[in-house]
Amino acid sequence: MSSDVEDISDLEVQQEILVAGNPTFEKITDVVSRIVEGKPTRWWYGLFTVSVLLTIMLAANLVYLFWEGTGIWGLNNPVGWGWAIVNFVFWVGIGHAGTLISAILFLLRQRWRTSINRFAEAMTIFAVICALLFPAIHVGRVWVLYWVFPLPNQMSMWPNWRSPLLWDTFAVSTYFTCSLLFWYVGLVPDLATLRDRARSRLRKIFYGIFSLGWRGGNRQWRHYELAYLVLAGVSTPLVLSVHSIVSTDFATSLLPGWHTTIFPPYFVAGAIFSGFAMVLTLSLIARKVFGLEDIITPRTLERMNKIILVTGMMVGYAYAMEFFIAWYSGNGYEKFAFVNRAFGPYAWAYWIMVSCNVIVPQLFWSKKLRNSIPVMFVASILINVGMWFERFVIVVTLSRDFLPSSWDYYSPTAYDVMLLIGSFGLFFTMFLLFLRFLPMVAMSEVKGVLPQADPHYHPPGGGS
Amino acid sequence: MSPMKSKDNKGKAYWRSLDELAGSPEFRKWLHREFPQGGSELNNDWSRRNFLTLMGASLALAGLAGCRRPEQKIVPYVKPPEEVIPGIPQYYATTMPMGTSAYGIIVESHEGRPTKIEGNPKHPSTLGASNAWIQASILGLYDPDRSKRVMRGGQQSSWDDFVAFWREHSAKYDGNGGEGLAVLSEPFSSPTLARLKREFEKKYPRAKWVTYDPVSDENIYEGMRIATGEVLQPVYDLSQADVIVSIDCDFLGTESENIALTRGFAEGRRLGSESDSMNRLYVLEEGYSITGAAADHRYAYSKDDWAWVPVTVSLFRLAAELMDKGLRLPGFNFGDPYPSGFDPDEWYPQVLHMIRAAAADLLTAKSRAVVVAGRSQPPAVHALALALNDALGSLGTCVKLYRPGFDSVSSMKDLVDLTGEMRSGRISTLITVSGDPAYNTPADAEFTDAFNSVEHSIHLSDYVNETSRQSTWHIPKAHYLESWGDAQAAGGTASVIQPLIAPLYGGVSPAECLNTLATGENTPGYDIVRKTWRSMVRSGDFERQWRRILHDGSYEKSLSSEVKPKIDLASVALSVSETRLPFGDGHHLSLALQFRASPSVFDGRFANNGWLQELPHPITRLTWDNAALISPRTAEVHNLRNEDVVKLTYREREIELPVWIVPGMADNTVLLELGYGQKNLGRVANAAGFNAYALRDSRWPDFDTQLSMTKLDRKYPLASTQDQGSMEGRPLVREATLEEYRKHPNFAPEAVHHPPLVSMWEDHKYDKGYQLGMAIDLTACTGCNACTIACQSENNIPIVGKEQVRKGREMHWIRVDRYFIGDINRPAAVYQPVACQHCEMAPCEQVCPVAATMHDDEGLNAMVYNRCIGTRYCSNNCPYKVRRFNFFNFTKDTPEVTKMVNNPDVTVRSRGVMEKCTYCVQRINRVRIEAKKNDRQIGDGEIQTACQQACPTEAIVFGNVNDPGSRVAKVKKRNRNYDLLGELNIRPRTSYLAKIRNPNPEVPET
Repeated sequence: MSSDVEDISDLEVQQEILVAGNPTFEKITDVVSRIVEGKPTRWWYGLFTVSVLLTIMLAANLVYLFWEGTGIWGLNNPVGWGWAIVNFVFWVGIGHAGTLISAILFLLRQRWRTSINRFAEAMTIFAVICALLFPAIHVGRVWVLYWVFPLPNQMSMWPNWRSPLLWDTFAVSTYFTCSLLFWYVGLVPDLATLRDRARSRLRKIFYGIFSLGWRGGNRQWRHYELAYLVLAGVSTPLVLSVHSIVSTDFATSLLPGWHTTIFPPYFVAGAIFSGFAMVLTLSLIARKVFGLEDIITPRTLERMNKIILVTGMMVGYAYAMEFFIAWYSGNGYEKFAFVNRAFGPYAWAYWIMVSCNVIVPQLFWSKKLRNSIPVMFVASILINVGMWFERFVIVVTLSRDFLPSSWDYYSPTAYDVMLLIGSFGLFFTMFLLFLRFLPMVAMSEVKGVLPQADPHYHPPGGGS
Repeated sequence: MSPMKSKDNKGKAYWRSLDELAGSPEFRKWLHREFPQGGSELNNDWSRRNFLTLMGASLALAGLAGCRRPEQKIVPYVKPPEEVIPGIPQYYATTMPMGTSAYGIIVESHEGRPTKIEGNPKHPSTLGASNAWIQASILGLYDPDRSKRVMRGGQQSSWDDFVAFWREHSAKYDGNGGEGLAVLSEPFSSPTLARLKREFEKKYPRAKWVTYDPVSDENIYEGMRIATGEVLQPVYDLSQADVIVSIDCDFLGTESENIALTRGFAEGRRLGSESDSMNRLYVLEEGYSITGAAADHRYAYSKDDWAWVPVTVSLFRLAAELMDKGLRLPGFNFGDPYPSGFDPDEWYPQVLHMIRAAAADLLTAKSRAVVVAGRSQPPAVHALALALNDALGSLGTCVKLYRPGFDSVSSMKDLVDLTGEMRSGRISTLITVSGDPAYNTPADAEFTDAFNSVEHSIHLSDYVNETSRQSTWHIPKAHYLESWGDAQAAGGTASVIQPLIAPLYGGVSPAECLNTLATGENTPGYDIVRKTWRSMVRSGDFERQWRRILHDGSYEKSLSSEVKPKIDLASVALSVSETRLPFGDGHHLSLALQFRASPSVFDGRFANNGWLQELPHPITRLTWDNAALISPRTAEVHNLRNEDVVKLTYREREIELPVWIVPGMADNTVLLELGYGQKNLGRVANAAGFNAYALRDSRWPDFDTQLSMTKLDRKYPLASTQDQGSMEGRPLVREATLEEYRKHPNFAPEAVHHPPLVSMWEDHKYDKGYQLGMAIDLTACTGCNACTIACQSENNIPIVGKEQVRKGREMHWIRVDRYFIGDINRPAAVYQPVACQHCEMAPCEQVCPVAATMHDDEGLNAMVYNRCIGTRYCSNNCPYKVRRFNFFNFTKDTPEVTKMVNNPDVTVRSRGVMEKCTYCVQRINRVRIEAKKNDRQIGDGEIQTACQQACPTEAIVFGNVNDPGSRVAKVKKRNRNYDLLGELNIRPRTSYLAKIRNPNPEVPET
């Protein structure tokens, strides 16, 4: 690294304490590893039981779905996509914060990210897994789903490269692969720490295998940091591309309310918005339950709230701009679609969306409110509710398109609801397993931002 | 016996255990599962047990997912029948009898299995076209609920047993000339049945013969009798009419001879260009019919200070107006047909304006003007209408009178007399030939009660219906496609009904049954019919003539000639003044009640036909149910909304049913459609609708007042396929008056302004070979729905059941959109058939990830079912929403016998795939193969799509748009031609010709 950069980081270290209570390296290791090494709390068992039960419900629901067909959902003729696609976009959106925090904030030298990046990345992985589930199961004939991949076959049939669904297939799976690699690379030093601390043979073998023989040597660190930097560089455009491409599912169609050029940036902003809200929700719980108040400091939380405020405003701007363009375009169908959104049969969903996504983040203009844990906790949940509704509002635009004769109201069935709840079950099952078996805070990175990590560090009250 | 076991032995168990099982939950569950023929209706209320069972089963079977194909044994012909080439269909001419009408048809048969019906171009009642009933009757042939056995007192018996019984039993009547013997028959126009009737009457001169049909042309014949002194059959040629006034006559829809009438009407308004002229139609009606929708002026009226005025008055008023204007009706003198206090001169101004304008128009058009009245109008109206036509000079041009081919007309009065005699015990044996009088007779006749007083009852019927259940003998009636018979069409053209298939369930044809009753002999239908025809066909070699008749489908010589009787105006005047019409009594408490035949199930005879039950009603778009139809103002007064259940009380009888609001109906009127609410008919009919016969009264069987309506505190879900009635100001159906059209001939293509349409890609040039396209003339389209059923039949489209329709998952490939325009109380209605438009730049094709929907070189948007994975993206991106998704395996529960209706040239789609209109690609290819074999080009008009072929107005034109000489290319060059949503630059291959109406400028706008 160039000396300039070091100077700046020097400055930061001096200006700001990123970890409260000035813990030692050992303390950090201890606090984080304890969670993994100790016995799980009752809280964990309780939550895990609920999550697993929900996951089982999801599995049962899917079996029934495959048996009967997508007719068990509330879909109808104008509305060919329903909650499955809403959930897909919702989860992909959630999955944006992790890589953004890890990659973009890393490149931007936002060192406060270290306390939250690990589980933000984990969250990304699990959210993308949940997201990938939906496009797979929403097709009518799941057993031939593999036809979307360009597999050589005797019929010489190739997928249709003009279809945004195909772009989706590649965008989301690429994103998933890169995020997984990035997350795993970041985990290696911490896995080694856990390996070294492991008492049982099983743990030793498990962490031993996955820490890839990490010994913390200088050369290893140099390679590691380069690899991390490269992966951050690869992941950064993906953060922007994935949701842009997901948005083309809608934007490249010719339907009024879908066919809008603002969709790609608006979707990315929305994704970051919802992703940060989700990270916030999770970190507030984790910090309380696992006593990580010193590591995930109020300053970090406040910064996240600022990002939420910014992206929330971007989303609000997009909402307003959609209306403006609908009017400005002079296209009657377009105009109708937007008036219908706000005042049609789904107005209730639209106003839930606006209230949660545009009005709620305005609270964070107040320094007091954006530092208040209860306020931000409620706000973060409301924002995710709002972002789910945003996708719902977009998808049900289908219910009223060009020919009024085919208009119909879409309402979900119990199976749709179970699917959404079940996907949360799956997400939390994976997340709780992650908390149980992997270090939820990147120990090595947090240590890196401690004042002691600076070569010019002078312990307070110390001599030379 | 458990209901599941009874399934194997259904006919028997069905008969015996119905009553004991009807109440049990298992039975209901079983019925529910069996319910829609061809459609699996998923029950949404899943129990934990059900869920676990299914889950267990699905887990157990998950490993067997690969074994989807059933193993079937194929046995080749050992001795192939002559002329049957597997894969090449054969076509036979036959006739579908319906009431006193005869519809000549051509039936497509695959290896001896009839699959599709078309009109016979040589037959005057179909002219090559058809209607929804004709199209759907093929499904009735394969109805698994049709009666399968002869039953005696609930026990299985046989036809031979019956013949033996009858020989013994009828001997009793030989001595007394048939005293105590009665026959209750449906009306027929069959020469053979007429001959057998004469033979029966000769043998049993004192037997009573009563003809009854719940929806019949009784009033028309009676009106003709009043005016001319004999029962004559009026035959209208509307193509000769410039002005048509319809008094509650749905001649485009539910009236007899609707195909020929529709064709004639459309001929009179075919517009090549703005310089052509077109006819003008005035409609005065109570409900909203498709004829009303086609009208240039329509009025369904009500008067502010009179609760309800029958539409009949408008004809009286019209007659008075015509006489004022100088129409000569010598000796005609109105009595006073109005109740005291009603002054027709102070009538609602709009009606008066319209009637005056109509009168002026009629007088101008003279012999090219015609007044038609609906079958629900009293006889005096028909007599008066005939007198007016005669005075105008159109008798002989637009209306011709023929002696009918039958001598017995349906009579409500005879029926009531018969029930009286039955009750008094004077009837010891009642023979019911077809029909279900226990269900469809007026409530005041108390038929069931009377029926119980009859010792021996014999019932020939296609279903085990209410009447069969109470009869001592039930004989299954053969479907017309399974039996020999004959029928005479209006105008005297006689044709033979020849069977396409041996009776599937051992049915007996009406001719065979009547022959046995009349002679005691068991003679094959073929011999019976030939015997009749031998006496009719006198000239030439009979065998030669007979073969020719069978081949052509009709006898070239008309059996009756036109008569030109003198109109007895005094008799007409007397009948008018004696008609004591029911009037609303001046305050709003009493409502009027109307009964009409259903455009779907007619009088109930098609109630077990899934295609017709799922066919959207042309006005309400309701499927699977009837409802109490009311106007918006009536709904407001009674505080009713759609689906609110009401109790209707009329002459101390009551029924409960939901209401449906129909904009444009007469106020203070409740219209009920007949034919629904049959409880034990079959799996399709049983759950559908409400029985309106329970309110019907024989004195005023079609309309009356004194109805009261009470709102009940519950709802009943109704399944409508179109929630939105308005076009929202969008240029979808482009419409102008003839005057506007002449001023702006290019109004239709210029209705939408858009930037130049350029493509992002280099366009594919569709300029070689055949380029297939379609044009639909909205001026001609009447919204009759024939195309929808024709398509369903041709393309193996499943029915999905009421619950699925409610969810918006109906599968029709061509739907007929109906939009209302204007004031909610007096809207006009327009129709627009929409099927896949085969866009050249199809939005569906671009979004399919697996390229399952692709374009072919001839411009067809092809759907590859095998490749489809079911993302539904194509459907989302289709601006016409014509793609249909198989949300479930809708054909899974199709009974074996019903599978025989499928067209073998069309794939039956499984669940999870998208489907849509293919422009009948199988028909295109069949023609192409023939053309290639002969090394020639496909000629214009050689390919006919199913919808095109069925269309009675020839509104649909299909062909090669690349050939400037083809009809479709010429039609598309007309200035009314426009592309629906063409501004999206998707270049649809189907285009529409704008709708032109021809209103009278003298009539003020509303």
